[in-house]
Amino acid sequence: MSTTIDFSDVQGTILRGYRVDLARHFILTVTNGPKAGAFIEALVDGTDGLPRITTAVHIKPKPECFVNVAFTAAGLTALGLSDQELTTFDAGFQRGATNATTAGKVGDTGSSAPANWVGGLSNGAAVHIILSVWVDDDPAVLEKVSATLRAAFAGCITELSAHDAKALPDNHVHFGYRDNIAQPTVDGAPPRKRQIPDDQPVVPTGEFLLGYDKAGGGQYSVQPSQLSKNSSYAAFRILEQDVVAFEQFLDAYSKTAGISAELLAAKVCGRWRNGNPIELQPDDPGTFLPPSEVNNFKYVAPQLPPDDTLGLKCPIGSHIRRNNPRDMAVIGTDSVHHRIVRRAMPYGPSYDPSVPDPAPVKRGLIGYFINASIFNQFEFVQSQWSLRSSFVKAATAPGDPDGTNGNAYFNISGQDVFLGVNDPKSSSFTLAAIGQGGTNNTTITGFSRMITTVGAAYVFFPSMTGLRYLAGLLQR
Amino acid sequence: MASPLSLFMPVIPGTDLQKMAQDLAQFQTALGEALQSIGTVHYARTLILDGAMPNLQVGAGSKPTDNYVLAIITEYDGSFDDYIGDFASQVGDVFNAFLKYVVGGAAIIPVQSNQQAFLEYLKTNDASQAPTATPIYQAYDATVQEIYAHGIKPVSGS
Ligand code: HEM
Repeated sequence: MSTTIDFSDVQGTILRGYRVDLARHFILTVTNGPKAGAFIEALVDGTDGLPRITTAVHIKPKPECFVNVAFTAAGLTALGLSDQELTTFDAGFQRGATNATTAGKVGDTGSSAPANWVGGLSNGAAVHIILSVWVDDDPAVLEKVSATLRAAFAGCITELSAHDAKALPDNHVHFGYRDNIAQPTVDGAPPRKRQIPDDQPVVPTGEFLLGYDKAGGGQYSVQPSQLSKNSSYAAFRILEQDVVAFEQFLDAYSKTAGISAELLAAKVCGRWRNGNPIELQPDDPGTFLPPSEVNNFKYVAPQLPPDDTLGLKCPIGSHIRRNNPRDMAVIGTDSVHHRIVRRAMPYGPSYDPSVPDPAPVKRGLIGYFINASIFNQFEFVQSQWSLRSSFVKAATAPGDPDGTNGNAYFNISGQDVFLGVNDPKSSSFTLAAIGQGGTNNTTITGFSRMITTVGAAYVFFPSMTGLRYLAGLLQR
Repeated sequence: MASPLSLFMPVIPGTDLQKMAQDLAQFQTALGEALQSIGTVHYARTLILDGAMPNLQVGAGSKPTDNYVLAIITEYDGSFDDYIGDFASQVGDVFNAFLKYVVGGAAIIPVQSNQQAFLEYLKTNDASQAPTATPIYQAYDATVQEIYAHGIKPVSGS
């Protein structure tokens, strides 16, 4: 396999991690379509003193800033796309993030309901564009670029809000875990600067870009054709993390389960806080594994060890095993059809347990969860794998066809501890143990949601060709 | 709680019955394997009906008619809508082969690239979603995987 992608036609964030410490996401409403088109055109060309939209072409030396732009369905309409054309877009994208069906499907309910969202995101119809800027580490550069952009879109675009992200040391996220380890290897995409090989199939290009073959055959596409090839979609999410509640959860439930708080933290995530996969490092976190090893694992093997069909090491319901079951048997088809490129960064100050927050502090994770189909990837993973436990196929360990030691089916319960709705009346997490029918499992219950959705939008990342086309629609 | 799918697809007038029946037979193994792999389908069968016959059966040696109906009837677990992409990936090629015989089928081939249109087609032609449809009777309330987990083995070669 090797697909050739014209990197100069693809918005950079889809295929490249920028490896920067600061980001700002502008949530924008178009008030004058033709002028907004001209602004986008200037961004595409890098004229009028504006930074040029970053493509997937590697730039050396590292530029001052990286810029990408994405549109909601309402945004495409505001720029002149017809309703007829919109019907060719992804079903989830057409519904949008604030739609009641969407919210119910992905668990944006209760405190996470769209009505409670910040920064104007609750009114989906007014959210048209997300313009994102990333800079290395100098806040002054971010302010300078922001000022340039604001001056350029003033008069045709209203800023509903801007949301900043700031990396924590060593790629950590709130809750204390190291992130940015696992990403899909996309056929034809530029190699990651820091190679982290894994033992998973290369994902067909069409899972991340329209107009290429996807897993299982066929292609995703939209009309008009100018918007199709090299475009992509993302779920933009602002997820607030209650760090104090998470620490209390670890403290209380590790006692219930009779394990250490750190082991429980590793079990619910699937990685220790230092980033090591519990699959490879079941008993203690150890020292951070080299890149060649830290993502190089599967869940199923022909013999025991290393087979973990039953989730005795890495719980089947852990965050990483739910969000990418790798080679574990799931209903439907395999995980290659449901991969997600993650481009999210923390926001808010880091939490120091020795200096408790004097007042509630807003912190969490913000960014894009990228895919060629929101319906089949983000929404599927969230609704079928994070919010349910019935997606796991019955499976027994090697050499135990009758399941005397248990069956994968019984070794998962509830929802993702991170991404579930986790109503205390039904929340549940299983720590599996050897035993027929899961009889020796430990199941913890009654905990609450610790990550709340405070904003979201479903967006379309047009190719550079697509951006030019879109920019010209109302100007022509 | 399983859900029913009762797909009735009018065949394009002038279709060669023998050829269609042969295709149907030829794809049974692939269909069975795909359904096994999906892991949510309890039972499935394909039928050909003849609307021109009083008993709707394709009679032996009866004259060709323009009223054939291709039917696929199954009981499955979970959400059909959410799994349409997986379904299209797994049984897409089988459906592409069947759909070429039915009215409106050509527009959604290949179903892998036309998932939402495929879903719409299935819903439109699903008699279980018609206003007159009654709830299905179920002898047990267990998913396919739950049944397997309790020790019932998959039927090999199905
Ligand atoms: C505040 C919210 C979240 C937190 C704290 C969080 C945390 C983490 C951590 C610590 C890892 C392991 C590091 C790595 O493998 O790179 C991880 C992996 C992952 N997360 Fe999240 N995550 C969050 C939200 C999400 C969302 C919204 C999705 C998408 C639906 C998601 C999908 C994934 C995937 C696909 C992986 C990689 C799994 C693998 O390939 O093994 N996460 N997450």
